[in-house]
Amino acid sequence: MSTVTKADPATPAGSARPLSAGRRLGDRGFALLALAAGLLVLVILVLITLSTAQQSANWFSTEGWSGIFSTVWDVQNNKFGPMAFLYGTVISSLIAIIVAVPVSVSVALLLTEVVPRRWSQPIVYVIDLLAVVPSVVWGLWGLIVFVPWLQNTVYSSLASFFDGVPVLGSLFGPPYSGTSFMTAGIVLAVMITPIITSLAREVIATVPTTDKEGAYALGATRWEMIRGAVWPHSQGGVVGAILVGLGRAMGETIAAALLIGSVPQVTSHLFAPGYSIPAGIANLFPEASGEFRSALIGMGLMLFVITILVNLGARGFVVRSTRRNKGSA
Amino acid sequence: MAAISPQPGGIDLTETSGWRRTKNQIATVVMWSAFALVLIPLVWVLFTVIQKGARAISWKFLTGSPIPPNVMPLSFPGGMWPAILGTLEITGFAAVIAIPLGVLGAVYINEYGGNGWLAKFIAFMADVMTGVPSIVMGLFIFTIWTLHYSYSGMAGSFALACLMLPIVIRSTYEMLLLVPDELRQASYALGATKARVTLSVVLPAAVAGITSGALLAVARAAGETAPLMFVILSTQNTNANLFAGANTALSTQIFANAQSPFVGAQDRAWGAALTLIVIAFILMLGARLITARFTRNTR
Amino acid sequence: MQLRGSKQAAAAGGAVIAALALAACSSSSSSSSSAAAAPSGATTAASSASSSSAPVSGTINAAGSTFQTNFQQAAIAGFKAVQPGVTVNYGGGGSGAGRTALYSNTVLFAGSDSPVPAKDASKVPAGKTVLYFPVQIGPIALAYNLSGVTGLKLDATVLAGIFQGTVKTWNDPAIKALNPGASLPSTAITPVVRSDSSGTTANFSSYLVDAAPSAWKLGTASTISFPASAHAANGGSGVAQAIKTTSGSIGYVDFSTASASGLSSASIKNQAGDFVAPSPTSAAAAASQVTPKANLTFAAVDQPGAGSYPVTYQSWDLVYAQQPSANDAALLKAYLGYLLGAGQQLLTPLNLAPLPTSIDQAAVAQLSKITAAS
Repeated sequence: MSTVTKADPATPAGSARPLSAGRRLGDRGFALLALAAGLLVLVILVLITLSTAQQSANWFSTEGWSGIFSTVWDVQNNKFGPMAFLYGTVISSLIAIIVAVPVSVSVALLLTEVVPRRWSQPIVYVIDLLAVVPSVVWGLWGLIVFVPWLQNTVYSSLASFFDGVPVLGSLFGPPYSGTSFMTAGIVLAVMITPIITSLAREVIATVPTTDKEGAYALGATRWEMIRGAVWPHSQGGVVGAILVGLGRAMGETIAAALLIGSVPQVTSHLFAPGYSIPAGIANLFPEASGEFRSALIGMGLMLFVITILVNLGARGFVVRSTRRNKGSA
Repeated sequence: MAAISPQPGGIDLTETSGWRRTKNQIATVVMWSAFALVLIPLVWVLFTVIQKGARAISWKFLTGSPIPPNVMPLSFPGGMWPAILGTLEITGFAAVIAIPLGVLGAVYINEYGGNGWLAKFIAFMADVMTGVPSIVMGLFIFTIWTLHYSYSGMAGSFALACLMLPIVIRSTYEMLLLVPDELRQASYALGATKARVTLSVVLPAAVAGITSGALLAVARAAGETAPLMFVILSTQNTNANLFAGANTALSTQIFANAQSPFVGAQDRAWGAALTLIVIAFILMLGARLITARFTRNTR
Repeated sequence: MQLRGSKQAAAAGGAVIAALALAACSSSSSSSSSAAAAPSGATTAASSASSSSAPVSGTINAAGSTFQTNFQQAAIAGFKAVQPGVTVNYGGGGSGAGRTALYSNTVLFAGSDSPVPAKDASKVPAGKTVLYFPVQIGPIALAYNLSGVTGLKLDATVLAGIFQGTVKTWNDPAIKALNPGASLPSTAITPVVRSDSSGTTANFSSYLVDAAPSAWKLGTASTISFPASAHAANGGSGVAQAIKTTSGSIGYVDFSTASASGLSSASIKNQAGDFVAPSPTSAAAAASQVTPKANLTFAAVDQPGAGSYPVTYQSWDLVYAQQPSANDAALLKAYLGYLLGAGQQLLTPLNLAPLPTSIDQAAVAQLSKITAAS
């Protein structure tokens, strides 16, 4: 969001009629109401942080710093190292970004530069439809339709092809499972595409038309115009949009819970099952108690902090980019 | 960088070279293929949901109650009405909480906050809040509400409202920014108080955008599962009372049935998925129509 | 994904519909007649549960064991005909979640596959006693996916080897010794286990500790650290799905889920030396050998007797004896009475087993311990 500067015109110069007491009270009351609503956001965030911190205190104090960064997740022997879950969150989100970003940015460019205004509506509707499908339906379809197809058609052939190949084999070789990092990553990519596309569109739309037309006037092809006029202006904002998508992918719970494989492990094999923090909380919380429960909430707190940092980064990029555009307009 | 090489002292109007044209064409093809790539999962999922869900949908499915046991086939008496009512009530109440609060919050940031650090901080934090994982919201309400006041649909509404609030704030804020300052200044010149200006002039001017943004937030909330999972305690029975007693929703029913080996449960999951998509789609369509209609008017 | 179990599921469905109708007809009058033909294990003690005769109204919130979910859902549907004024909500969510909900008083009863663990004793509010009402018995199937092999026979020692990763292929001599007539391929064995906490894991591991103490080294708990070669899945249905899609796999999952998914189950050697297949009958036979403690807790694994299925387990509904309101006490007596009475007929079609008569009678007698504060 950009900052807006304006003078407060509530008391216009030369106004001769004083406000009645009743109207002043009403005005004051409304202002306070608005302030309270705004503060509510802060209150909720603070409460979330406090309650999760309090519930996870047990885990933090028992494990200590070495325990917090451990990958050993052994419920039977009371070892609750969260790193395997964090690893899965990061890997599946990275896969999602790698798949979604080229597609989203291409569609955004399609909408802003290639397709005439009149014909852009159907494409926008398609993106909207993608956004409207709830994550639990992606999970249901993913589990029942996508996973068996992936396991039996795609993964089995790819895994046997890459089996034994030096570097790629450790990424794409066996073991493989229909529910895995890669499956979750692909479905997450589909889910974050609408957000990245619409944010990227907004950013690209702020590129001054004079720059674009100037490029065309110099004889540039459309692709050259995009590279030369659009990209330099919007790259900060697009990176910001990507970071928002990343934050969203990291926090996605239900689709991951159904599709990521439910095995907390750190492995380079992308077709192997894994776990992510939100999926772990969703699946394991019901049966958990004591330190186990505290560990799950602690992981939730870790993820909360990380997504805040990612969003902070995203805002920073977008703000800087739009500020630069405003100056150049 | 681009291969634009203006001749010194002139503009290059010569034909683009073959390679440059090819690059351009490749780029266009890539962009269109990206769109085609996006279409594949969309068509696949919609096709599957419609095909499998349509088999389950019937008047009895939509209005019957209670929800049959998992082992029972589709034909067993009962239907998904408890879940449909639950989704409508819980999401509806969440909207009643989140939309006014969200609009007021955006009003504060845009109209009252001015350049102050507090307004900027709140705006920033509202954006950050959109990134909070939905499961964290659910656990939060579970800890501070459900453990003390037991399960209820209202607890689910609180969790969904926490999810919707930052979305409504952001979209309302964007809409308020678009209202021209001249409107405000004219009203002040006529002697109106700030509250009057906001309520009678600014908000009505932005109402189309605010409504469409709110509808999209409601569509998002209707499909959420994780915030509800721990706070409403699932049930098979219709519970019209939002404020007490266990409740259920389409999203939690789908999640619970997704892995069930029983055919009846799977059929009901697909039917519920289709119903949920239709509800969310209607909301989205409403949002788009409102935007389209009112944008045309103001031009 | 085509469910090959659809025929079994349809048959189960039909049978449960019939049982529900029967239960409804026989209990719609205030004193249930013995027209409810009693299959083995069911009891006509329903007629002596006079607390179910007076109409009550209210809501019962309950949560807990997912093993009980199918039974509870069927019972709730049947109970509507007996007491139309009562609404029962059973939320599932797992035994641990159910017990936690009971400690914080957000539910009236909790379904649990195991008694309250010792470390949770302090969480039970002061002055409250937990009563255990056993409600169902069920077999844990060792479901497998091995084409060309039916009627697989296994015993505790071989199972310990499979799930610890020491028995690695299907044509291992230990397996061959138990299945002389079968042609076992050299395929690798993929053991499928639960990745989440579960009563099924607790009871299966408890069986292995009992029946193969020297071979099984991983102890017994709701979550076991199986070797990394095991394929883990979330939930019983996750395990069933994994077995279904992985050739050469074998896993432990409750029998009703296994048969609904169309999986074959192995016959396991019991104490008497017989290889018994999982079924409601063999589970009931095992349960009939059990002598419960005074508080009605017991373990049905590894029971003696010729027809006993050795990997049988049980589930209880946990209730506080001291109820703050008289209406809550009446509601609990009515619903639990139904579960222990006419509701027991709903179990067999669900591939679960009813309680043995003696345990059922003891449980019904325990209902009188639910009292309301004056």
